[in-house]
Amino acid sequence: MELAANFVHLDPLHIFYLFTVGVIGGLVSGFIGSGGAFVLTPAMMSMGVPGVVAVASNICHKFPKALVGALKRAKYGQVDVKLGLVVGASAEAGMLYGAHVQETIKRAFGDSGSNLYVSAAFVVVLAIVGGYVLRDAWKIHKSGAADAEEKVNALARRAQAIHIPYTMMYFKSLNARVSILFTVPLGFATGMLAATIAVGGFIGVPGMHYVLGAPSLMASATELVVAFVMGLGGTIKYAWSGFVDIRLAMIILAGSLFGIQLGAIGTTYVKPYLIKVVMGVIMVLVLFSRGIVIPVYLAELKIIGALGPTTVTALNGVSFAIMILALASGAFIILAALAKGIRAERRAEALAAPAFAAGTVAVPVSPQLSPIGRFERFLLATDGSEFSTGAVRESLRMAQKCGARLHVVSVLSHDVEYESLGEQLLKQELDKAQAHLEQVQAQAAAAGIACETRHVQASEIYQEIVNEAERVQADLIIMGRRGGHALARMMLGDTTAKVIGHARCSVLVVPRAAELAGRHFVLATDGSRYADAAAATVASLAGLCHTPVTVVSVTMPSHSKQRREEAKRAVRRTVVFLKQEGVAADGDVLHGRADRMIVEAAQTKNSDLIVIGSHGRTGLERALLGSISERIIGETRNAVLVVKAA
Amino acid sequence: MANSAMPGAAKQLVQTLVYGLTTLLLYSLLYVFEDSVLGLSSRGGWYFIFPVTIAFVFSFVHGTFTGRFWDVLGIKARK
Repeated sequence: MELAANFVHLDPLHIFYLFTVGVIGGLVSGFIGSGGAFVLTPAMMSMGVPGVVAVASNICHKFPKALVGALKRAKYGQVDVKLGLVVGASAEAGMLYGAHVQETIKRAFGDSGSNLYVSAAFVVVLAIVGGYVLRDAWKIHKSGAADAEEKVNALARRAQAIHIPYTMMYFKSLNARVSILFTVPLGFATGMLAATIAVGGFIGVPGMHYVLGAPSLMASATELVVAFVMGLGGTIKYAWSGFVDIRLAMIILAGSLFGIQLGAIGTTYVKPYLIKVVMGVIMVLVLFSRGIVIPVYLAELKIIGALGPTTVTALNGVSFAIMILALASGAFIILAALAKGIRAERRAEALAAPAFAAGTVAVPVSPQLSPIGRFERFLLATDGSEFSTGAVRESLRMAQKCGARLHVVSVLSHDVEYESLGEQLLKQELDKAQAHLEQVQAQAAAAGIACETRHVQASEIYQEIVNEAERVQADLIIMGRRGGHALARMMLGDTTAKVIGHARCSVLVVPRAAELAGRHFVLATDGSRYADAAAATVASLAGLCHTPVTVVSVTMPSHSKQRREEAKRAVRRTVVFLKQEGVAADGDVLHGRADRMIVEAAQTKNSDLIVIGSHGRTGLERALLGSISERIIGETRNAVLVVKAA
Repeated sequence: MANSAMPGAAKQLVQTLVYGLTTLLLYSLLYVFEDSVLGLSSRGGWYFIFPVTIAFVFSFVHGTFTGRFWDVLGIKARK
């Protein structure tokens, strides 16, 4: 019952206030990895929330926020999880010790003593670290090297050069080994500062950057992992004593998650030097904010003469206003940089808009609006590997036969693991992809095919292929298949499977050795509208190649008589349709497991293409129900055309 | 099935709305059951599980929503 007094009544104004401060705080945290939370504790206290509840609720919003921010920035390859966990573990210890120091001071000197300690910590740490960061940012600005690559400074080089046996650990962000005897004190200090002023990152980020040698973007992103570890530990500690006001924490979280996503996006548009600018500006302004109230606490402790109540109110008010100004200034710099970056990116994209190669063949314009079975624009997705050779070869053959335009996209993975390969290897990969695209373009030009190539980097390769197909309004995506039958079937995360699941147009999967000579096609039907769409596509394709088609439908022993009759009718109906379209066709109803029977039918008929309609299942539905198309693709050596119904 | 036939942008918008509405539902539940939730999460001891679990659930749902929210508005990371 006593605890109930700790929790204030919340009115809409309070909620709006906390939400807004949360957004701005989240924005700053997403960008510099920390620094958004220091204003929240005094903000809550100004609403009448007791200090300990304000601290507890603040820390309870911090760990989920840091988690979301860390995951987002990990997508951009900026997080060193190992460094974050190692520093985070010692930071946890530092935080517990920092809280213990706080409690001891409070017991000995009361609230004023505690407040004086906190303000003094703010002033000393921010003056030293903030001053250094801002000076460094200013030096970079003055030297005109803001766009240059960051270099590891002398202090970090010395730290990395010291070899202490049994304590050395490799960190990818440093691309070097460093003794944990350096990371432990850094983490401990980060934790102590977090327990004292709620922002450990003011030591953690500069420490990882200047002392260990991590690039500033990676240091700020890795700090989010440290903040998560500390925040979770701190939340458990305070919640164990029942001090967390979950309403306050979740209201702040509501705003801060909007902010942290935006801040994280901002880091992809800026030069690393801007991290230092934002951090330095905030730290120095906060330093003034806390410095200005030190006389109040000194007077309360009777170290200096008493101050009038008006003076105390004025000093507290000015202090709080400067704190808000600090956060708002940081947010303003981030938003301005983000807006500028997005504008520049859009201008660059507009300038780089692809044009068709000169001297290419004329392409027929269809009188219809995207009919099923139209083959005018192909998208070849290739990674330049041996698994794409079949897709490249057959796409050129088909494009020539159909008079289609060929768009070629090469998507290079852009994720954490890939980033860790290092710049040199990444450049090699990019050069290789570029050379491959030029080779395909030369082959296309020699065959008189209109060809456009594009190279992109993306974290989700399948998504980029699907987006590219939408962009060029492709009628067909042509791609290869990774080897390994059973494994390929099991790998639901496989790019080819995902493209089939998500693409709106048809997908032709060509294994390495498959050839589309137009000998014979097998069309699988279950009588659904998806199978009808596949039949329409086959009619168009077989008409072009003068290829005979066998229509098959598969029933299982468990199927009812009615279902078997339906299968027969579906085959008959499709054969009649194909014949009407001038295609030589026959039909058969097979009994057994659908994927096996279809693959066997293709083998028996010496077929070079299997055509199936797709139900277009994605996500959970596909994971639960599986996909016959995927199993067929995994088992056959033939090319498989998966037709999507509109 | 309907989703697979939807254009990419519309599908993304629908998914964003679903996460947004789920977030709204979670916050509505927090508001309606304010006293009980506050009571359980501040009981102390092993009851620390309550605020920690709530924070994880909210961060997953609302975090996904906010990520997609900026995406839908066209504010995306540089490639």
